[in-house]
Amino acid sequence: MTSANVPTQYPDVNAKSESNEARLRSRNRKVRGIFQSFMSHALINFVGLFFLVPFLWMLITAFKSNQDIFHTPPRWLPYDNLTVNINGEDYPLYDVQTPDGPKQLAALKIVEGVGTFVDPASPEKTFEYEIQQGETKIAEPVMHVSFRWQNFPDAMNRASRPSIDASFWVYFKNSLIIAFFTIIGTLLSNAPVAYAFARLKFPGRDVLFVIVLATMMLPYQVTMIPLYLLFNNFLHWGDTFLPIIIPAFFANAYDVFLLRQFFRTIPEEMCDAARVDGASEWQIFTRLVLPLSTPVLATVTVFTFLWAWNDFTGPLLFLTSPRNFTMALGLQDFQSQRTLIWNQLMAASTVFTIPIIIAFFFAQKTFIQGIKLTGSKE
Amino acid sequence: MEELRTTKWKFSWPPKFQKWGLGERRNFKIGMLFLLPWTIGFLAFTLYPMLASLVYSFTIYHARQPLEWNSIKNYTDLLTDDLFWTALYNTLYMVVIGVPLTLFTSFFCAVLLNLKVRGQAYYRVIYFLPSIVPTVASTILWLWILNPQAGIMNTLLGYVGIDGPNWMTNPSWSKPGLILLGMWGMGNTIIIYLSGLQDVPVSLLEAAELDGANWWQRLWNITIPMVSPITLFNLVTGTIFMFQYFAQAYVFRGFQGLGYPLNSTLFYSVLLYQNAFQWLKLGYASAMAWVLFIIILVCTLLMLKISDRFTYYAG
Repeated sequence: MTSANVPTQYPDVNAKSESNEARLRSRNRKVRGIFQSFMSHALINFVGLFFLVPFLWMLITAFKSNQDIFHTPPRWLPYDNLTVNINGEDYPLYDVQTPDGPKQLAALKIVEGVGTFVDPASPEKTFEYEIQQGETKIAEPVMHVSFRWQNFPDAMNRASRPSIDASFWVYFKNSLIIAFFTIIGTLLSNAPVAYAFARLKFPGRDVLFVIVLATMMLPYQVTMIPLYLLFNNFLHWGDTFLPIIIPAFFANAYDVFLLRQFFRTIPEEMCDAARVDGASEWQIFTRLVLPLSTPVLATVTVFTFLWAWNDFTGPLLFLTSPRNFTMALGLQDFQSQRTLIWNQLMAASTVFTIPIIIAFFFAQKTFIQGIKLTGSKE
Repeated sequence: MEELRTTKWKFSWPPKFQKWGLGERRNFKIGMLFLLPWTIGFLAFTLYPMLASLVYSFTIYHARQPLEWNSIKNYTDLLTDDLFWTALYNTLYMVVIGVPLTLFTSFFCAVLLNLKVRGQAYYRVIYFLPSIVPTVASTILWLWILNPQAGIMNTLLGYVGIDGPNWMTNPSWSKPGLILLGMWGMGNTIIIYLSGLQDVPVSLLEAAELDGANWWQRLWNITIPMVSPITLFNLVTGTIFMFQYFAQAYVFRGFQGLGYPLNSTLFYSVLLYQNAFQWLKLGYASAMAWVLFIIILVCTLLMLKISDRFTYYAG
């Protein structure tokens, strides 16, 4: 009732100065917003360089020529000799300090510090110069930016050591074979086990599940030595893929856990309905649960591939002859030689990484989902 | 004795099983059929090796010769083995310095990736990509980056006036080099943190902002407590991983012997591998494995116990 008597508040005389203040405040906020946005961009880019630059450096090095690898300071682009074609053959160009002043000459050969040069314009006449005359270098090769694709076939066609009957293609093939059978084994063996833990009710199930989880705690080092003796001396599987592939066919705690978590999200009523209709557990599992589980099966496939492709310890323990090496083992072996050919090492590393990058871009969601599933579920 | 031989031994289920009804027995049989792959695997590839290695750890065993009982001497020998203590020190260095450093930086990266910036999805890919580079490839790459002559690390440090160390030949810089390598590939940890950050209730942060809490106060008082279970998870898995650190160290020595330079990269698992497969001291290596298992177990339980006070579980 009283409200009718209260005069309506009209904008008073101070309104103008207030709006001024508000404008100032909003401008302040905007400036701070721009500053914060600038700072976050700067920071995220700077930290991003730490992740990006080494990756790019692997690619850049893979394209470098032998002459460019050990150039100090390192150059951010791959350089190669500038060559000139004389009578159907390529010769590197050199900047030569001739007695008649600096000239660009093609080097035919350089033997014991003496170079034989010709002028590309008149290739009939040859000159001989000592490359190093006292303190000064007479001839410097002319370099230009050039991506040496040849490093990739060179790296893949060679083996990790000289004069062995293998190549990185063979290692690549071995890695693929091992990854393929590991994936098959993992999918076949883990799904039924996970189904039993997720949807079957039987005495002792929970005790067994605790044992499954407990095996996650066991470090590989504990079982490594008896397994090595079992596979090598008892089963005589030494230097074959079997010790690496066969255990995958017998389920493992991580994948059982991952699959079980997913199977439990499938409505129980559906399984019960199928049971009432007279379906056996195996039918429910293969016809109902598995078709609904393609996302998690994809996750398991991708992660098993990643794991098998990456695995180093298994091949190191069991594979001895170079023709059986995997990419991981072959690269390590190549790198442990004294002759470090970094461009070919990086080219082989790039080829080693490419399948995973492809898998990542095709299954990005599966990757991220898998990490979250294994990571944040207690 | 005669009686023992003439009595027909009939297999009977344990009493508890006899009490089960028909349905329970049927379910049990079906369940065990489904579990068959795991059961065989567990017996052959986990339980048997565990027991065998426990037995080996009390023996002298050189693979080709028969076992020779050695009582607890393998374990007491460890206490006086200088290499054992060196390896333990190196491993603890990585656990005590490497793991927390990696956790801190990956949390920092996750916070960055959670900012509303343009191209967020691309940044996430860039931060994550190194973690899927295979271990051997990334280790070789970092050997090349840390190369004192032609590596880009020291070149980049030179741009800002820092004279970079000899990462691979200086014993006090080899482990920091390996930590850098680990930080480059910590994409998994970042993703886990990021998903944790996305689960922090926005309402809580907005309420705090209305109450006048600044960005730092919100981070310290809300975000960090809210992701503390994830920190615990990353801490435990990171610690377990570091105690078993092997492939990176094996590759990082280059063409030198294991542990180069000066045993500074001789980690626990590397020494164990060396004992088992280079010196064929299988009994001794088995003892090392069991000590490692116990250390990991104690550390994990300790972390879980202590963390009760520091982790916050919502809901």
